[in-house]
Parts: sequence; C-alpha cells; structure tokens
Amino acid sequence: MTLNIPGIQNLLDMILFAFRVIVPFVFLIIVWRCFASLKRGRRREDPVVILEDMVTHETIPVLYWENSIGRSKSCDIVLNDPTASRDHAVLMRRESGWIITDTGSKSGTFVSGTKIKGPYQVMPGDVMAMGSTALMLKRANNTPKKKKWIQRRAASPFGLLTSVTFIQIFLVVQACFAADKFSPMPLIPFGVLQVLEWGLYFYSIKGLGRVSFELETMAFLLSGTGILLIAGTDVKSTFTQLGALAGGIILFCVMIQFLSDLDRVMRWRLAIAVFAILLFAANLLLARTHNGARNWIKLGSFSVQPSEFIKIAFIFVGASTLDRLQTARNLTGFIGFSAVCMGALFLMRDFGTACIFFVTFLIIAFMRSGSLRTIALICSVAAFGAFLILKFKPYVADRINAWGHVWEHVNDSGGYQQTRVLSYAASGGLFGVGIGKGCLKNVFASTTDLVFGMVCEELGLALALLIVLTIALLMFYARSDATRSRSTFYSISACAASGMLLFQTCLNVFGATDVLPLTGVTLPLISLGGSSMMAVWGLLAFIKASDERTYAARRKS
Amino acid sequence: MKTTGTRSLILWILGLCFFVGLGYFVYGMVTNGGTWAMQPFNKHLTSGSQLSNGGKILDRNNAILAKSENGKRVYNSDETVRRAMLHAVGDTKGYISTGIQYNYRSELSGYNLITGLATPTGKSGGSDIKLTLDSSLSKLALEKLGSRSGAAAVYNYKTGEMLCMVSSPNFDPQNPPQDLDTDKSGKYSGVYLNRVLSSSYTPGSIFKLVTSAAAIENIPNLDSRTWDCKGSILINGNKITDVSSYGKLSFKNALAKSSNVAFAQIAVELGNDKMNAIANEMGFNKSFDLDGIPTSKSVYNVTGAQPNELGWSGVGQYTDLTNPYHMLLIMGAIANEGTPVKPYMISSITSPFGLTTKSGHTQEGSRLLKASTANKLKEYMRYNVSSYYGDKMFPGLSVCAKTGTAEVGQGKKPNGWMVGFSSDRNTPLAFAVVVENANTGMTSAGQIASALMTAAAKIK
Repeated sequence: MTLNIPGIQNLLDMILFAFRVIVPFVFLIIVWRCFASLKRGRRREDPVVILEDMVTHETIPVLYWENSIGRSKSCDIVLNDPTASRDHAVLMRRESGWIITDTGSKSGTFVSGTKIKGPYQVMPGDVMAMGSTALMLKRANNTPKKKKWIQRRAASPFGLLTSVTFIQIFLVVQACFAADKFSPMPLIPFGVLQVLEWGLYFYSIKGLGRVSFELETMAFLLSGTGILLIAGTDVKSTFTQLGALAGGIILFCVMIQFLSDLDRVMRWRLAIAVFAILLFAANLLLARTHNGARNWIKLGSFSVQPSEFIKIAFIFVGASTLDRLQTARNLTGFIGFSAVCMGALFLMRDFGTACIFFVTFLIIAFMRSGSLRTIALICSVAAFGAFLILKFKPYVADRINAWGHVWEHVNDSGGYQQTRVLSYAASGGLFGVGIGKGCLKNVFASTTDLVFGMVCEELGLALALLIVLTIALLMFYARSDATRSRSTFYSISACAASGMLLFQTCLNVFGATDVLPLTGVTLPLISLGGSSMMAVWGLLAFIKASDERTYAARRKS
Repeated sequence: MKTTGTRSLILWILGLCFFVGLGYFVYGMVTNGGTWAMQPFNKHLTSGSQLSNGGKILDRNNAILAKSENGKRVYNSDETVRRAMLHAVGDTKGYISTGIQYNYRSELSGYNLITGLATPTGKSGGSDIKLTLDSSLSKLALEKLGSRSGAAAVYNYKTGEMLCMVSSPNFDPQNPPQDLDTDKSGKYSGVYLNRVLSSSYTPGSIFKLVTSAAAIENIPNLDSRTWDCKGSILINGNKITDVSSYGKLSFKNALAKSSNVAFAQIAVELGNDKMNAIANEMGFNKSFDLDGIPTSKSVYNVTGAQPNELGWSGVGQYTDLTNPYHMLLIMGAIANEGTPVKPYMISSITSPFGLTTKSGHTQEGSRLLKASTANKLKEYMRYNVSSYYGDKMFPGLSVCAKTGTAEVGQGKKPNGWMVGFSSDRNTPLAFAVVVENANTGMTSAGQIASALMTAAAKIK
C-alpha cells in the first residue's frame, strides 16, 4: 500500500479489476471474429474447370487444387473403367495452370495422344486418356470466374489489430501497476510489441497486398498476452522474448515465401531432413544438461533449443503433395526419420517433446496412409517403448506415480508444482488478482511449464480458457480447410502443425493441473522461451500457407 | 484431396481429448476450487494463519466467537467461552477438522468462483457465519464439566437448532499452550477431537432404550410380564450382576431401576437377529452429519455372539459403542414419534454485501423408530424421571430420560451418561451428556444435564 490515500488505492484496484473483466470479453470477440472470418475466407467448393467424358459427354466437376483420378472409389475423380488403374493420375492446379502427372498406372496416361512422362501441362480443350476413358479439360463457364471470397467480406484487418492494441493497453496498465506503485518499465515491451504488430500489418497488407490478417491477429493476441503477463513480474526477460517474437515474425514471412513454390519445397525435403538430424546430433554433442534434459545449446550469450526448430523440419519432411503421395505409398522413409528424431529426444531425456513428435507423427502418418493398421502397429511399438522407459527411468515413473495424487505430495517434487498451480489458479477466480500480483511467479518454472497457472491466477480462468480455446480453434480451422487449400502438402502440414500446437497445449495445461503427468513443455506463444516463440511462429506459417488467399493476393498485384 | 479431407477428421480425436481434459479441469475447479485455494501454503491467505482476513463467527445472540483483526484471528473475550466453543468454532491452524473454521473456510475467507481470493473492492470478501449455538449455555456446560473429559449437547428437537455442543479436554484458541503438541502426559489426549461428533463411548445402561425398543416390538405381553431379579444371573456360565437384588420387576420398573439381570434375559430372549435389526434401524453402524460435518459411527453387532455376550450387549456393554450426537438424534426421534428433526448449527452465512448465501432450516431426518415404539419408549422414559430420578432435577420440564454407567475396564472409572428430552411442548429440548471417568451416570452427567436443561429452557 504505497499510495497513502486508501480511497484512491481502492478506486485503482476496482478500475484494474474492471479492466480484467473487460479483457476476456474483447478477447473473445476478436478470436471469434478471426475464426469466423477464416472460415468464411475458405475457398468455395465450386469447380473452376470441368472434365467432359468424350464418349458419354458426361461432365465431371474438378473440385480441388489437387485431384486424384482412378478407378478407386476414394479418388476425387472416379473412372468407371476396368482398364484404368486404381490410382491412375493426379490433376493439379499450379501457378502456371493445370498439370497432369501419371502416378504409376499400368497403361499410362496420354495427353492429346502423347504418353506423358512426369508432370505435363494441360490446356483447356486438351484430351487426357486413361485406360479406355478420354476426358477433355474445359473451363466451367456456368460459374463466374470472380473470386468469391472478396465479395464475402473478410473481417477488417485494421479493425482486428486495433482491438488487439486495445486489449494490450488494458494489460499494460495492469503491468504498470503490478507493484501498486506506477512503474513505466512495462511500457517498453508494450511499445516494441506495437511496432512489431503494426510493422507486420503494413508489410503484409500494404506491402504484399494480402487481404487476410486473422491468423497473425490471433498469434499477436496470444504473444502479447504472454509478454505483458511476464512484464508484470520481470520486464528484462521480456526483451529476449520480444527479440524472439521479431525473429519468429521474420521466420513466418520467410517460410510463407519459401512454401509458395511446392516443387522447390519437395526438392528441399531431403536436405531439410538431413539438416534436422545433424542439428540433433549437434545438440547431443554440445548440449549441457538443464533441469534434467539435455536440450539446450549455448550460442554466445543465447541458449537455443534445437528441438523446437526441428518441429518445423519434421512437418516439412512429413507432408507431401498428392502426386508424390500416390507414387510413394509407403511411409518407410518418414518412419525412419521419426524414429531418429524420437531416439534423439529420448537421449536428451526430453520426453514431453518426444510425445509431441509422436502425436504429430501419428497425424501425418494417418493423413498420408489412412491405414489404421499401420497406426495401431506403431502405437503398440510406442507403448512398449513407454513401458521400457518407465521400467528403466525411475524418475519418469515417479512423475507418473504422483499423477492424480498430487495432494499427497504437497511438499515433495511429485506434486509441489501442480498443487501450487491448482491452489493459485483457484485463488485467481474468473478474472484474476492482477498482473504481477500473483504468488505462483515465485515457484520454479512458473513462466514456462506452469504459465497456465500464472495466467489463471493473474488474469483469471476466463482468459486462460480463451487462450487455449484459441489454439484449439486454429486446429479446427486447419482441419476444415483441408480440402480447400492449394495442395495436400498445405493440408497435411497445416493439420500437423495445428495438431502439434494443440497437443503441446494439452501437455502443458493438463500437466500443470494434474489432469496428465507433468512433462515440462511450453504453452505455445505464452510461455517464456525464445526458441519456442520463434518455432511456433514458424509452425503458424504452415497454417497461413494452407489459406488459399495467402498466395492469391501476390498474383493479383 | 477428398481422402485427405476425410482423414483429417482424426484431429477430432485430439480435439475431443482436449475438451474432455479441459472439462475435467474446469469441473475440478468448480467443485473443489475452494479446497484448492484453501491451502496453508497459499500466500494470498498470508502469514501462517489461514483466516487472517476471514469473516466473523457469531453465536445465536450475536456474541462474537471469532473474527479477524489486522491480519490476526481474534476470539471471544471470555476464556471459558473460547474454550467451550473451541470445537464448534475450530482453531486457527485448522487442526480441529470438524470445526466451522475448517469446514467453512472457503466461505469465511470469501473464496468464490468469480473473484477467487481477489479483493476488487479492497475489503475482505469473507462471509460472516452465525451459529444457532448459545455461548453462555456452552460456557455453563464447560463450567459444570470442570476438568473432567466428556461431551454435552443440547438441541431443539422441533426446530433442529443446536444450542450447546461442548467437548472436553480443550484449550484456549487465543493462546494455545506451548506444550499442546509436545505433551506426553496425556492431558491433551484427543484435544482436537470434538467428542460430541467424533467419539464413540461404551453406552452402558442408556443402551437399554434400544433393547426396550426391540422388546416393545417383539414381546406381545410386555407390560404384563415380570422378571425375577435376584442380583445376578448365570447365562452360559457367565455371571451378569445388578447393583442390588430387586426381586420381581415389571418391564417399566426393570427399565427404571436399570436391571441388568432383566435386560440381559430380554436380549437373550429376543436373539441376535432381532437385536441387530433394531440397532441398525435406530442408526447404529452408520454415520450421520451435522451441517455436512460427518460424525463417528455408533457400533452394535452381535452376529455370532454367545448368549452371555448377547446378554451383556443388551445392557450396553460387550462391543457396544455410541456416539453422543447419535444418542441426541435418537432422543429427537423418540420425542418426535420416531422421526427426528435433523440438528443444525449454522443459522446463516452472510456475504459482505449482506446477501445470505446459506441459512439453516428445520429438516426431517430419516425415521429411526416406529411411531408406536417411540411413544411407548417416551412413556417409560417419563416414568424413569417421575418415579425414580425425580422431577426436581428438571423443574416443570416433564423430562423423559435414561441414565447409564458404562464400565470401561482398564482400571478406569466408568463413563457416566444421561440422555433425554423435555416432553413439554413449550420446551422441546433434547440432550445427551457423557462424562468420562465418573462414578455413576446420575451423579456426573445427571448434574450437568439438570443445569443445562434448566438454563436452556429459558433461551428464546
């Protein structure tokens, strides 16, 4: 109570409380508007071109950017033709136009009478022959060629980002009064945050002419909340976090640029895989043990967690375009790569991250193969592995033993952190006790592994739930966009990236609150940790790339 | 890409797991948030004491039993009141787990789901709790108990209000003795235990009420029968004795004189099954609760007992155990034609904004006796007082009662019991008193009961 007049102090407390009540409501509106606008902005499933059967004159709409053609019922364009292969060819839309490629059919694919080898561009009017079927590519003239999504207006990026700034003003006021006395220090991270947010806004909307900014808005909302939360406790540690945010934004932009050319991406996949494995090797050789896990490399005055960046590489290696999926059906290469990654993580004793890789692996493997049998086999191998770990790594077993019984371990390592999280989270109620006014901040790992508890305590359960729901919404968006992106590569990578983020969120939130054993992974965008912050922005690039509008604007200009 | 779209549905599994986990956490927060927050390590509750910012606890006349001042818990100004109310109110550290301060710590500290422990208005959000207990009646009970261990409880069997709940030994919560936790002499033995709610004593003769209930229901010509009481009887080679030889006794005189010889024979005549059945019906081997605070079970089980053991069990020895609160409830049942009114001690919980969040009210408990059995027992118990104990003990209250002197062995003196109620409709009060290490029920518990009932009858 440094203010001598109790009346003013009380008034201030009430104003700050009112701010904390307003924040989750505005937050909800922004997130919902972003999500609705993302959903609205998806490509309509109207055919751009159609195929006309030269014999029956039946027309087949071409609905997707990548279409498998074949006898199999699961193909996008089903050929009722016993002489065609089950998966005969893939018809793809690219920047240059429509391309057909044969996917190892028995009888081959012919365009205007010539048997094709490799990708072959088809023009409207060209006839493609597969087996005894001949299809002519035609423009779909019944639908107007105008891009529909411009007519169905997206949420104004300016309005969204202004609301984010608005929320951050409320939060920074909280942070400034963290110690009851006004301190201007949190204004520094607030200022930098605004520069980064509006910088990316102008670069992307004015510079690149993109129309959508929903994903970036959601990411800034989360990153900003995390940074301002930490500003209430320790302003200095937000500086590296802000640096990482800047780095993350650059990575995000570079990756979107890189992802625009899928042929280039597919060429680079092997190099990325080798690079990832080398990074792991470097990690194992150079790392120092930090809190039981050897997952840090020291570069000058910075500590880097390579496994965070390998998450991005993992998705690069796992996802694939449809034509390559059809020709390389087995998963052997990817399984091998995943095994190496997870083996390295076990050697680093980073079991939380290993779990994240494993779940991401399952998502990618299933989306590629659709084979439940393979997945079941892999899962049983993993279960056996987990059993061995529990058997030979007693400290992991200890954590599992305390799980669900944390109240019996209030003062030992089994439940010390979780009981503090639960107790202080409950103390915060729906709207929290105020930034910097919590007590969980004094518990070890409060700004990383236990940050969910800190959000609950200082900003309230309402905002904490909204934060994790935002991450869940990203996944539901990525899923609903799976058939509408420009390639299965984007679909698979967006689903994998968003699934990875949500699973990581689950491990963090449920670990801290004793729903699951505590594993010590970060809460995406909220937890303190530069590598994590950058890597999450990198992962968001996959989701951004799956949005059809991302590359449309570039072509328009 | 259609198949990719279909396969992406696998993400729903992850989404489902996420929502299940989140739902589990939120459910835990909603149901247990108060307990989670009320931890000794929680610094929002500050320095050592859990209730440095808690609400007040008041007795029925608004006397302050406990309140928080300048970050400290302060109790009533009278030491005897503090000690008498200790077990009802609870201690500062929360060691008395049946106390209000422990069981209602969320309410007192002002925890709620919306604001947690935050104090947006700058004031403590703790609720005040008003009890139905009367601190001066409790003080009287403690004065009468003196240094003896025991328990005394009085409640209004029509409204359910608890008026007195005192347990001894106790200590002063304002100045807890230094040697409270280190003492080895046994003077604080069971000091954190509320003997009204959490103890089980050998009942002795008060158990004859249970045997009587079984007799009323199972022996058709009960009032015309007599029992020959020659001071002792051999059952199965084991001698059961009385204080003196009473000669031929009718049933009601056998109860009034509390003849072990007669009641042992009755229990044997009824048999194990009927005795077990009536005891279970009357709530033995079962836990009750007072405002959600659970009580210890009374115990009666004669399955497989020999006839001599059955005989002893019928007079309240053998393995029989009773809990004072349970006995009080049985008194309420007999007074109310078999169905007791549930006792309560929280009159109201009032939030800082003046909103009453909980108020105690009259509520029927589950039936413990048939109405006819209860009325018959009431008649016999009234006879006990009018012809033997003397109405002088309870002037003008038409008390129905039963005393008991329970042998506990191990070189200790018996436990003295008295349980009963006023059958006068203007003073619907029931009581249960037990004194450890006493001479007889009448001289120990009887004196306390007499004083308590006389004083309680004046409470409005």
